[in-house]
Amino acid sequence: MKGIYLAGGYPDIDTFTESARAVVASGFDFIEIGIPFNDPIADGPVIARAIYDSISSGVTPAQVMKCIAGFNHAQIKKYAMTYANIIYSFGIRKFSEEMAGYLDGVIIPDLPNRMARLFYDSGFEIPIVPFATLETRESDIKMMNESASDIIYFVGLRGITGARSDFTSPELLDKIGMIKKNTEKKVIIGFGIKNSIDAGKAMAIADGYVVGTEAVLRQNDPAELKKYLGSLRQ
Amino acid sequence: MRSNKGFYGDYGGQFVPEILIPALDELERAYNDFNGNPGLMDEFYRYLGEYAGRPTPIYHAKNLSEKYGFDCYLKREDLLHTGAHKINNTIGQAMLARHMKKKRIIAETGAGQHGVATATAAALFGLRCRIYMGSVDVERQMPNVRKMKLLGAEVIPVEEGLRTLKDAISASLRDWVTNVEDTHYLLGTVAGPHPFPEMVASFHAITGREALEHFQGMGFMPDTVVACVGGGSNAMGIFQGFLDMPLVKLVGVEAGGRSLGPGDNAATLTQGTRGIFQGALSYLLQDAYCQVQDVHSVSAGLDYAGIGPQHSYLKDAGRVVYTSVFDDRALNAFHELTRLEGIIPALEPSHALAWALDNAGGLGGTRVLVNLSGRGDKDLDIIEKQGGTQ
Repeated sequence: MKGIYLAGGYPDIDTFTESARAVVASGFDFIEIGIPFNDPIADGPVIARAIYDSISSGVTPAQVMKCIAGFNHAQIKKYAMTYANIIYSFGIRKFSEEMAGYLDGVIIPDLPNRMARLFYDSGFEIPIVPFATLETRESDIKMMNESASDIIYFVGLRGITGARSDFTSPELLDKIGMIKKNTEKKVIIGFGIKNSIDAGKAMAIADGYVVGTEAVLRQNDPAELKKYLGSLRQ
Repeated sequence: MRSNKGFYGDYGGQFVPEILIPALDELERAYNDFNGNPGLMDEFYRYLGEYAGRPTPIYHAKNLSEKYGFDCYLKREDLLHTGAHKINNTIGQAMLARHMKKKRIIAETGAGQHGVATATAAALFGLRCRIYMGSVDVERQMPNVRKMKLLGAEVIPVEEGLRTLKDAISASLRDWVTNVEDTHYLLGTVAGPHPFPEMVASFHAITGREALEHFQGMGFMPDTVVACVGGGSNAMGIFQGFLDMPLVKLVGVEAGGRSLGPGDNAATLTQGTRGIFQGALSYLLQDAYCQVQDVHSVSAGLDYAGIGPQHSYLKDAGRVVYTSVFDDRALNAFHELTRLEGIIPALEPSHALAWALDNAGGLGGTRVLVNLSGRGDKDLDIIEKQGGTQ
């Protein structure tokens, strides 16, 4: 399960759509599309800047949702990544009704596992991807397994997007081992993967990875992004 | 004010990255330990007394009362060490940090009052301290920045977004996510994820208790209690003394800024809608595309798009009436108090006083208690820029 994150609507809807098509055609297993929110507390400077830029150029959540609906679903799995307020204030049920047919899951960095219930109870029917972290306790995993999501998103570092993970740290290896022992879901490493060497290390210890910051850095140039995607898969 | 598993009605919760959940659980356990530990509580109240200067007096402002025709009482939180109510909470949380064996504290600040109070508590308890402050606020509250640095804190100007309080909180959350093992985030208001709203409100409850006891001693109650509301900590402090006295009217005054148009104010409860922001479900100033609205207030401490979840609950329950006053009315109240009583208030509580002065007609003959949550020396530059000494 190899995936690429793109900041939805950055730098503009057309270029974004072209970049997203490049990801869809690249052979990656999934694409994670960010729906912009202007208080992105889990994002580092690169992705936060992309989000601010897209919002100030007039991109709206509804436009990005429309883009997501437009991609060929059969070819690639699709996850939306956005902050809790976007879904809550758009309307939990309304978001679910409009997007359920197009998404395999949503990744909401400010919706910890124990708060997901609030969304499900309000009529949200898209699987909410559970998070595992370096701080995850064995007792937390039961809640993750209750999710309908096929993946667990493992945040392999203490920090924000764009920071570097150490894929050899005993703490990280122990934690992944503990999580995999307790779940059937695929464990995807998010945060900290920059190149094919990192990607190889991630695949050696987990079931997949997602690359964000390095892809967003090339998002305004789809040709450059294509080249980068090729280099990652080597 | 106790929550139901982190919620007040529909409001509250823990809307933060998963990696912070164990830290919030640890904090909640430590806070419960702290509350149940008479030795620690004694130490806390001793610091509030001997170090911070509690109890603060209630002053019957005779000159204002005569001019405006109602009995105006001021809860003098401006007389506390560091110049505002914020010290109650920073001593409490610094003691908690010590209890949890965290060596480093971080905090956001808007007006700088919470930053100074945090840097002060860090110095007192020997903790390393970093303060995040929007670069616009650094500019307009320079005296407080100097104090924080003298106290040994590192002040980091935040260049994101509008470069005010929201952005300082986001930067603090990012730091906490990165350094959660050895760091306590000393949040400065009754907002953010559970247990912060409940905990911060409890550290400030002493303000309301003192006020209640004072009036009990006098043999009457105030008819109205007024406080300014930014994130909502000083208001929760004083309101908690009177919440179960239905005859005492409670009024929360937000920043009306330049106008009630979008982006011109920070009147979250009167102009906002429900949203999820910086850790909690609460009222939020947001636009039609679910984005957090830009805000404005002449007062850096009220310049915030969110609001503590307890206030959202109290608004819906009808127990507190929330309203707003414009920048120019707050400035007018600032000058009135300064000239008539010789008390220079911070611009934040000047909003609370402004509501009382501007509604003097309806308040005639009644007793009004205004929470004077901080003193105004930090605001002198702003006052001078806004037309000086009048």
